[in-house]
Amino acid sequence: MQADLTLLGFGPDGWGLALARAGLMTLYVSVAAFLSGLAFGTLIAWARVAGNWPLRKLAEAYATVFRGVPDILVIYLFYFGGRQVVTAIGTALGLSGPFDISGFLAGVLAIGLVSAANQSEVLRGAYQAVPRGTIEAGRVVGMTRLVLFRRVIAPQALVTAIPGMGNQWQSVIKESALVSVTGLVETMRQVAVAAGTTQEHFLFYAAGAIIYLIITTLSDHVFRLAERRSLRGHEQGGI
Amino acid sequence: MTLPSTALSIAGLRKSFGSNEVLRGIDLVAKDGDVISLIGASGSGKSTLLRCIPMLEIPDAGTVSVGEDSLSPTGGRLSRAQLAVARQMRGHLGFVFQNFNLWPHRTVLQNVIEAPLFVQNRPRAEAVDEATALLEKVGLSEKRDAWPAHLSGGQQQRVAIARALAQRPRAILFDEPTSALDPELVGEVLKVIRALAAEGRTMLIVTHEMGFAREVSSQVVFLHQGLIEEAGTPGQVFGNPASERCRAFLSGHFDRNR
Repeated sequence: MQADLTLLGFGPDGWGLALARAGLMTLYVSVAAFLSGLAFGTLIAWARVAGNWPLRKLAEAYATVFRGVPDILVIYLFYFGGRQVVTAIGTALGLSGPFDISGFLAGVLAIGLVSAANQSEVLRGAYQAVPRGTIEAGRVVGMTRLVLFRRVIAPQALVTAIPGMGNQWQSVIKESALVSVTGLVETMRQVAVAAGTTQEHFLFYAAGAIIYLIITTLSDHVFRLAERRSLRGHEQGGI
Repeated sequence: MTLPSTALSIAGLRKSFGSNEVLRGIDLVAKDGDVISLIGASGSGKSTLLRCIPMLEIPDAGTVSVGEDSLSPTGGRLSRAQLAVARQMRGHLGFVFQNFNLWPHRTVLQNVIEAPLFVQNRPRAEAVDEATALLEKVGLSEKRDAWPAHLSGGQQQRVAIARALAQRPRAILFDEPTSALDPELVGEVLKVIRALAAEGRTMLIVTHEMGFAREVSSQVVFLHQGLIEEAGTPGQVFGNPASERCRAFLSGHFDRNR
């Protein structure tokens, strides 16, 4: 097997630029999905920790559903199902089609909402790991709930949450490959197209693997740095 | 000479945990400058009583007053308006926990300036100056930039005392401040509390250190099964208690310490 490495270059026959763009798209999708998952996951975690009975049940149901359904099904649901819903609404409003929902949006929402369920677990565990005594110490000096959260709970919970959130980020990156089913040209889609066109399957799927590894390794490094920084003051006696 | 005014008062205080009635009607008044020791067997309700004052436990009935603020919660709950009053009361009280409960993610100095900055909204420079003086007072100037985890228990508790003082409290509540300490570290903490008593600070101290209670208190209160069984000057309570239970408790204690 003699693979032609110029296929990966930036020359006229090379796929280099396309692959770089696709790598960036993977990063965009992942960041957007992770952040929407973080925002929604925080709400879910809060509902589970501090909500009243119906709110708590609703949040638990959410986590059960999205943790128990294949991600690819959720993406199909949002992409194809979402298109149907948008069309129905548009038609009802008397607008003329065709109506569509972008693969990017559907993918980000789907992965974000699945990730929110998992992130809420991490955040809830981190909250519960905050020593009760330090919370009492905040209450007893007269802190409001907001100040207590901002100054006492969140900074301590963050320390516990960082490794778990790092794992969630890694799995979001890998799940972003599933968004290729919507036709969005991210890494997975691009290497599949390139492999099909050139018939160099091994070369391009290996290149795809390397792109994912670059992203995951770099971000692993970032999370490690964040963890080390957040552990100041905890060197002794663990956290 | 004017008579000292009431810093803190408790009337008809009741608290149950489930079917377990821990406090069964407590009345207690602390005038400015009083040092009141609360003693009694474990389970007598003394820690719960102390925790009811800043509403860490919310009483089922009775009234707690600190300075001008007063609260009479019912059914173990606080309304939104009552919670606001509770926060104000907490601002006028210092509380020192058995387990120190320093904020581990903040340095010693940051622990002490936290409430002045983020609850009382005082200027940073002023808070730092005051905290520096307080750390000197508890003998920990050189530890101001250390993390709590790097301090001994005795040092952590002295930081906790400085943190309580930084609130400029009307009264300071101590919940068994030396019970979590190794025996050799008890002395340095008691020394600090003793100095505060000499300054005329108003303090309520739940303690098992009978010798210390006898020495620093203006008043000693013996609790038994959620009621005040005996109260008076240290001379009365330790020298000639009227209650047989109090007498038995004290003799048991002094025997054990011998």
